[in-house]
Amino acid sequence: MGKYDKFFALAKEAGLEEVELVVSESHSLNISLFHGEVDEYKDNNGYSIAARGILNGKCGAASCDVWNKDKAAWLVKEIVANAKVIENDDPIFIFKGSEKYHKVNTYNKDFEKVSIDEKMNKLYALEKALKSIDKRVVEVAGAEYSEATEKHTLVNSNGLNLVQKSNYFTYVAQCVAKEGEQTKSGYDFFLSNKFEEFNPEEFAKKIVKLTVDQLGGEACESNKYKAVLHPDVVTSLMRAYIGHANAEEVQKNSSLFIGKVGQKIASSKVTIEDKPQQKNVFARWFDDEGVATYNKPIIKNGRLETYLYNLTTAAKAGVKTTGNGYGGGSKRGIASSFLSLKPGKKSLEQLFEEVGNGVYITDVSGLHAGLNPQSGNFSLQSTGFMIENGKKGKPLDLITVSGNLLEIFKDVLEVGNDVTVSPSGVSAESLLIKKIVVSGK
Amino acid sequence: MISKKLAIEVLNAALETGADYAEIFYEDSSAHSVMIENGKVETTSSNSLCGVGLRLLKNNQCVYGYTNELTKKGLLALANSLNKSFHDKRIVTVTKLDMIKCKNRNPVTRSYDDVPVEEKIALIREGIDEIQSMKDPRIVRTFGVFADNKRFVAVFNSKEKWFKRTTEFGRMVFQVIAADQNGFETGFEGPGAQHAIDYFRTEKVNPKKVARKAAETALKMLTAAECPSGKMPVVIGNGWGGVLFHESCGHPLEASAVAKGLSCFSENKIGDYIASPIVSAVDDSTMPGEWGSIDIDDEGNPGTKRLLIKNGKLNDYMIDDLNGRRMDRQGNGACRRQNYRYIPTSRMSNTYICNGKSTPEEIIKATKLGLYAVGFNGGSVDPTTGEFNFGCSEAYIIRDGKIAEPVKGATLIGKGFEILKKIDMVANDLDLAQGMCGASSGSIRTNVGQPTLRVSEVTVGGRGGELK
Repeated sequence: MGKYDKFFALAKEAGLEEVELVVSESHSLNISLFHGEVDEYKDNNGYSIAARGILNGKCGAASCDVWNKDKAAWLVKEIVANAKVIENDDPIFIFKGSEKYHKVNTYNKDFEKVSIDEKMNKLYALEKALKSIDKRVVEVAGAEYSEATEKHTLVNSNGLNLVQKSNYFTYVAQCVAKEGEQTKSGYDFFLSNKFEEFNPEEFAKKIVKLTVDQLGGEACESNKYKAVLHPDVVTSLMRAYIGHANAEEVQKNSSLFIGKVGQKIASSKVTIEDKPQQKNVFARWFDDEGVATYNKPIIKNGRLETYLYNLTTAAKAGVKTTGNGYGGGSKRGIASSFLSLKPGKKSLEQLFEEVGNGVYITDVSGLHAGLNPQSGNFSLQSTGFMIENGKKGKPLDLITVSGNLLEIFKDVLEVGNDVTVSPSGVSAESLLIKKIVVSGK
Repeated sequence: MISKKLAIEVLNAALETGADYAEIFYEDSSAHSVMIENGKVETTSSNSLCGVGLRLLKNNQCVYGYTNELTKKGLLALANSLNKSFHDKRIVTVTKLDMIKCKNRNPVTRSYDDVPVEEKIALIREGIDEIQSMKDPRIVRTFGVFADNKRFVAVFNSKEKWFKRTTEFGRMVFQVIAADQNGFETGFEGPGAQHAIDYFRTEKVNPKKVARKAAETALKMLTAAECPSGKMPVVIGNGWGGVLFHESCGHPLEASAVAKGLSCFSENKIGDYIASPIVSAVDDSTMPGEWGSIDIDDEGNPGTKRLLIKNGKLNDYMIDDLNGRRMDRQGNGACRRQNYRYIPTSRMSNTYICNGKSTPEEIIKATKLGLYAVGFNGGSVDPTTGEFNFGCSEAYIIRDGKIAEPVKGATLIGKGFEILKKIDMVANDLDLAQGMCGASSGSIRTNVGQPTLRVSEVTVGGRGGELK
């Protein structure tokens, strides 16, 4: 008897035509240091079950985090009650399976052999290095180690049973620097499942540099500037931009990419791919509908190649799903997986030279407030530097940058060669942009 | 639910290796939501959460873990795994558990368990019908959501106390997307409260009014020009305008930042002027039925009203017991978490700037050229530097003391300790607005609030060039 047989039996009894469970099991550990001592230690065993089922062609959903007979019955009862009130007529699918799956390994056995002492030693080394590199660093606001092992299972009444296991670890740290009356903070994040890749001293150097470099800054004149955007900034903007390739948004008339497939929507320097099969910790070989994933360009040399589909939107459009059905609930949403911006040939220094005079934007904050995902307009609190005579100049304090996502990607003059993979699962490089509006003095 | 006997056994196992405090947080909650999109019921879902979080403290150290194995075996295994972090002799033993009784200021007269989904659908449908009756072809997509949540919590701790708490709340959300040849705009309204569903059929809050407001905002912003940029006087509207204080000052006044000396408003500033003398501010978790209210916090301290700023002077903080240890203070009822998966810490509840003496009309009239910001998308802050930002979803230019053309895409930025000193007029129309606040202990319900007020100079980011 399988663990979930009871649920499938009860569902059948209740008249549900097809049902599916997505089970997430995880074990994670978080350890943070403050002033050389363990400040927080967190050990978690996570478990959650998302269930959905079809009754008279309508789909209901329910979820829980405890598994027993009572919960199985509760899930069935809620699925039935929820399905009964659905009015949406979109076709809905509990998938029978793809012909072939290309498995990608996201679980590193060797990582499980690393002792807790080795992990702690790197954390202590990180905190120590942050304090000792530069006198202007007055505080280490946090140094944290986390790791997780996750098992993701999709099982349904059509015989599909898929399991993907993964593990990864992260080190995160933040430091505070002071000079005169000015206080600046900076943080960074490292994610991998290869323990040997993390070097605490190198990581500390990077954080300290990005923090102290901000000291002594002031706002620049409000104006339009030629700009270089740091890969972290590009990552944030690119995620929101590619959100418009979501086929549901297109079908429901709320995407900026409506009717644009096959057309040039960005600078010919821009190629953005969805790469779920890339060999890294972000890989997904089946999506949350159980469909096999594959790599594909979304934008190629500035031309929009495809929208991203799940089973429902693909059926409505009369095309094949692109394997981008992600999320929980009764109907799966659509999302990109590992997004990758194709690198150019020029170094960051060469981009500065090409700008001559302009701004270098290294960070943006408050994306949930300052970026309107629908209109693509953004106005964001930013940090960065002036670019003067082709070189990185003085830091900028309290500025905002504003623009529109469609325009920014049309205005790309060059893509840098500084490939940077962010912990959010995006690979991006610096971009040289024709113009950006800066509000300062 | 777990028995007192089992709780005592688990606490004593947790304390075996020298922890000075142990606490069991048991949660059993359920949530339901239904969404109508473009006039049709699109999704409904039910979600149940049930688990235990176990917290051990020793001096300033915190060890935490959670489990869904709610049996004796599962809970003792968790206690015996967490206590391995300490290596001393037992210093605390629990022999009994006395119940803390607390006031119930937030009773929900009719439980959401007893509200059929059809009734929630009918409520939302009224709002959607109102939007459809506007017959504006520019409205391309509408969403209406009703979400409710019932949360039972029981906490047992090594101070030999225990308590239980049940909270219920509902939220009604309307979102409208409008489009014309120039692009898209959205309007959003989402009132919520710890009240029964009848609350959403009152004169102040009802589906027709709320849905229409969301649609009108989306349509108005469609015709709005790009917001100018640069430094300018900004009049910030009541209610949602309180997100300014929430970001710029509220977060830096949480003990989680203050205790470690990581706040721009550190303890040596108590009694100093950190704001203009016409500014007083409060965090009050005792307001009956309000979105951010709690009767008792996650550590068993009763909800309180904290006067954070008194006539411009720094007066108090939001404090939890653990951070209180570093500050030599007791927790003041501010310890909260999203659910059993999070380590609790000091958080805001209903946070607002108090009424002043001007009227909103006087403030507009006294402003020759500036920005009037009334709708907001939220924002963020770095409590260490005080640097904050928040985005405006609805704003207007003020010309010669009158509200003039609408503008979009405005983001206000600054440093909390500078902006509070620049508040030069405060009106008497205090209102609250409901939001979700995210921080280390998860996403929790908080109210922001303020009367209409003016800041003499704020850096405004927008794409519309210089303000003329």
